[in-house]
Amino acid sequence: MNRQKPEKLPLFSKDNLIYDFTKITAGLPGLLWLRPKWLYESKAARKRLRGGHLVIANHAGFFDPIYVMIAVWYRRHRFICGKEFFESKAGRLFRAFHCIPVDRGNFRIDTLRQISDALQAGAIVSLFPEGHVNDGSGEMATFKSGMVLMALQGKAPIVPVYVLPPKPRYRRLRLVIGEPIDIIARYGSRPSFSKIDEIAVMLQEKEERLKELAEADLH
Amino acid sequence: MTRNEIIEKLRDILITTDDRNRAAAAACTEQSKLDSDLGLSSVGMLYMVIAIEEEFRIRFENVGATDFRTLGDVVDYIEAKLK
Repeated sequence: MNRQKPEKLPLFSKDNLIYDFTKITAGLPGLLWLRPKWLYESKAARKRLRGGHLVIANHAGFFDPIYVMIAVWYRRHRFICGKEFFESKAGRLFRAFHCIPVDRGNFRIDTLRQISDALQAGAIVSLFPEGHVNDGSGEMATFKSGMVLMALQGKAPIVPVYVLPPKPRYRRLRLVIGEPIDIIARYGSRPSFSKIDEIAVMLQEKEERLKELAEADLH
Repeated sequence: MTRNEIIEKLRDILITTDDRNRAAAAACTEQSKLDSDLGLSSVGMLYMVIAIEEEFRIRFENVGATDFRTLGDVVDYIEAKLK
């Protein structure tokens, strides 16, 4: 399914020092606090991700990037986030985590190239296709179709992840991992505009199914 | 390549990729607005840029989805790149 070779990154590197340090030091307390429970859509979804993948998830709160990192804990993630975060005081942290800044008001071709290069180099790129934190009602906002373009250009499968946050706090964090979807294999490398919109709708429906799995596990 | 030839190629690209607005794409002119006349979203705009890069073998530099207003603006950019 995946066209890229597995990502060959050193176990330790100066570039990832802050990322790895944070992951290691925050990992154990985080696991004890959140007690994550991994659920899988199918047997194929259990397979570990190798090479470039675009991970998408619902966006219910500001801790979601941490939850997504826990969902696919064995890989480093490069999150796509608004460029305004890079201009804030926390900008250094976003840079240290190799996040990819995106101008949400005017999506640029260079950003698309940066994302597709990262995917083709075998990285995990993660994003929230709702584009912003949803209204907290539990309903997902409409997915934007830019993710389809990123996956097409990066020649990478899309992995849907559903995060059911620990609310109330004593509840375990539930993470549902979906099967990777190779959209090039399904729709070709140059689908039409309406197909791109259809793919975005299909991915949102997939997230809804993962949500049902997460909620079924509560009962 | 003349401006007319560039527009012809752009028309072909739009007809092939934008299956929802084929009539508008077939009738497009330099004055056609990308968003209101051709119905291109920001994703559609970038998708068109990718198709143009492949067709004309040029590279768009630091271009945003809302940087072009009309098809004529795109033709100007391609013409400048082809020189």
